[in-house]
Amino acid sequence: MEKNLRPLSPHIQIYKWQFSSLLSITHRLTGVINTSGFFLIVIWILSLALGPEYYNFYQKFLRSFLGKFILVGFTWSFIYHMLNGVRHLAWDLGYGYEIKTANFSGIAVLLISILVTFIIWII
Amino acid sequence: MKNRALNKWFMQRASAVILIPILLFFLYSLINLVNKDYTGALNFFDNYLSIIFFVLFLIFAGLHLKLGINEIVEDYIQNPNLKSILNKIIMIYSAIFPIIGIISLLKIIL
Repeated sequence: MEKNLRPLSPHIQIYKWQFSSLLSITHRLTGVINTSGFFLIVIWILSLALGPEYYNFYQKFLRSFLGKFILVGFTWSFIYHMLNGVRHLAWDLGYGYEIKTANFSGIAVLLISILVTFIIWII
Repeated sequence: MKNRALNKWFMQRASAVILIPILLFFLYSLINLVNKDYTGALNFFDNYLSIIFFVLFLIFAGLHLKLGINEIVEDYIQNPNLKSILNKIIMIYSAIFPIIGIISLLKIIL
């Protein structure tokens, strides 16, 4: 097969990093993270269906340091992806394209996602 | 919609909108469930609202992640063989885990 040498977008190696592009790639990154988080949620439901031994074993893992780290990480990832998703939906409808607005909403998404994660897990 | 790309584009947004209230419910459940033991967690599923939300989550998150990962594969993977393998894996992933989840939920309530 003939090799296709067209550059694919966005071409990460030669890309000039900006706040907006960083948020955008984070959206995709959190999407991939959430995909694996989905697995964790399904296994949690499965452990509940299988009985207390399985559930307690899984719960023990989730309460360990690594488990907590994973849970907090996934929580942030889900919240970020949802909030930033709303930004994308607004763009799809034609709103929020002004650079000032886009930067402001970007900072808001970042701060709110961290704040909500903090509220859920620390308080 | 006849155009496949447009259809995908639309479904990605539609599932996103549906997932917003579901995710908010999820965050609420997370706060509730995190320190519950086995019986406590079972009690959480003692009402149909929880079950319905979880089933909707499994279906729409499965659809949304399939479309999303497909798009990423489309953008970054050049090799057509690898692309097709990855798309098959994500298709199986996005089908099998919602099914496992829904069967588990059925076992919990029955």
